[in-house]
Amino acid sequence: MNAYLKNFLRFCIIVILQVFILNRITLHWFAEPAGALFIPFIYPLYILLLPFETPVWALLFLGFFLGVTVDIFMTTAGIHACATVLIAYLRTNVLNALMPRNLTEYVNQQPSVKNMGWTPFLVYSGFLILLHHIVYFSVESWSFAGMGTLLLKIAASFITSMLFIIVYILLFTRQNVSRA
Amino acid sequence: MRNFILIIRRFFNLILFAGLEIICFILIAQSHTLQGDDIVSSANTVTGIIYKKQSDLFYYISLGQMNDSLISENVRLRKLVDRYKTVDTLRDSTVRRQITNTDTAVHIVKYAEYVYRTARVINNSVEGVNNYITINRGSADGIAKGMSVVSGTGLVGRVEFVTKHFASILSILSNKQQVSAKLKDGTFKATVWDNERPDQFMMKDMPPEAKIKKGDSVVTTSFGNTFPPDVLIGTVTQVEINKKNGKQQLYLKPATNFRSLQYVYVIENIMDPEKKQLEEPPVKK
Repeated sequence: MNAYLKNFLRFCIIVILQVFILNRITLHWFAEPAGALFIPFIYPLYILLLPFETPVWALLFLGFFLGVTVDIFMTTAGIHACATVLIAYLRTNVLNALMPRNLTEYVNQQPSVKNMGWTPFLVYSGFLILLHHIVYFSVESWSFAGMGTLLLKIAASFITSMLFIIVYILLFTRQNVSRA
Repeated sequence: MRNFILIIRRFFNLILFAGLEIICFILIAQSHTLQGDDIVSSANTVTGIIYKKQSDLFYYISLGQMNDSLISENVRLRKLVDRYKTVDTLRDSTVRRQITNTDTAVHIVKYAEYVYRTARVINNSVEGVNNYITINRGSADGIAKGMSVVSGTGLVGRVEFVTKHFASILSILSNKQQVSAKLKDGTFKATVWDNERPDQFMMKDMPPEAKIKKGDSVVTTSFGNTFPPDVLIGTVTQVEINKKNGKQQLYLKPATNFRSLQYVYVIENIMDPEKKQLEEPPVKK
């Protein structure tokens, strides 16, 4: 399949998953009954799964567009866009640090468990998702007054987001590739 | 000039990154003022239509729940009707009640000012710092910015953005708006939401002489010009007394269940323009 079409379809699928299913899930972890509420975020995964050779400016524009799309649905006015642009900017640096060869040598490939292995992929996605959550929840609360709640929100949301991301990877990865 | 272009080419990604982040922060900062209009909001037409489709899908699943809430509201209204049945309306009762019970007389005159419109909730959030509710009525149905919104049981919020067929409501689960509230004995103060739980409000620094018990109801006042008076906000669940100065801090449970909100009433105050005209300071020449 054409890489552009494939990534466009993935954009639609991830936004639909996020807006219509995950936004309906509210977590009550570690909180009193009916305590603090937060939702898992899976949409940053779109930025993480773009092909290796995507230039940084394209990553930034895609990140901004993705963030604004989610913002429009959640009435959060730019907070998601802010966090997503940040991880889009840092993605290339993190990949350079983790991959053995130069990124331009991986033609027509995208970051995945298959060509990175489980540990590097989890470090890569875990680091960027954690960064995204820290920025998102700090900007949302707009102060460091409720530090305990903020850290709790970040930790619980991060753990569930990672669970959902692992499930997504397991579901949407082809097991036997018979392509040239 | 050539060096300048070279620098821009070298740091193009960094400049682009900074530019996009500045745009984001302008959007966020604008949404933090109560008067500023959000450029990105879920009241716009495209997302409104998508959320309507989703709501239609889930409508049948939640019909049972909706039925229950309608029945409980019917019970409440029946009780209210029964209370007024005991008043003899044939003998100019209004005048007599005005003398004996001034409070009730004021009540009756005031409710004539309002027009109620029903609306169905098509999108709802309780987990953010500022929570919005999208409804399926817009300017074509007579909804306008600033109208107050109540549910069958209590206060919900205020209309913030309106398009032709949809409107989004800033609910009172928000630190952008504080509600002027009063207790049974007349002490009034603004309610505060601590961002953490959708079922807890606070009223800080109540004077020590106010006598407050667990279970007291808290209602809106007419001071803020935004909400109609005497709408139930919630009930007191806990009273904390500050030992240093004797001031009391109240915890309230809101009367509206924001998690399972199905339908709301939008209230238009017909007398509001006239009142505002009167209260406006005269224009200086």
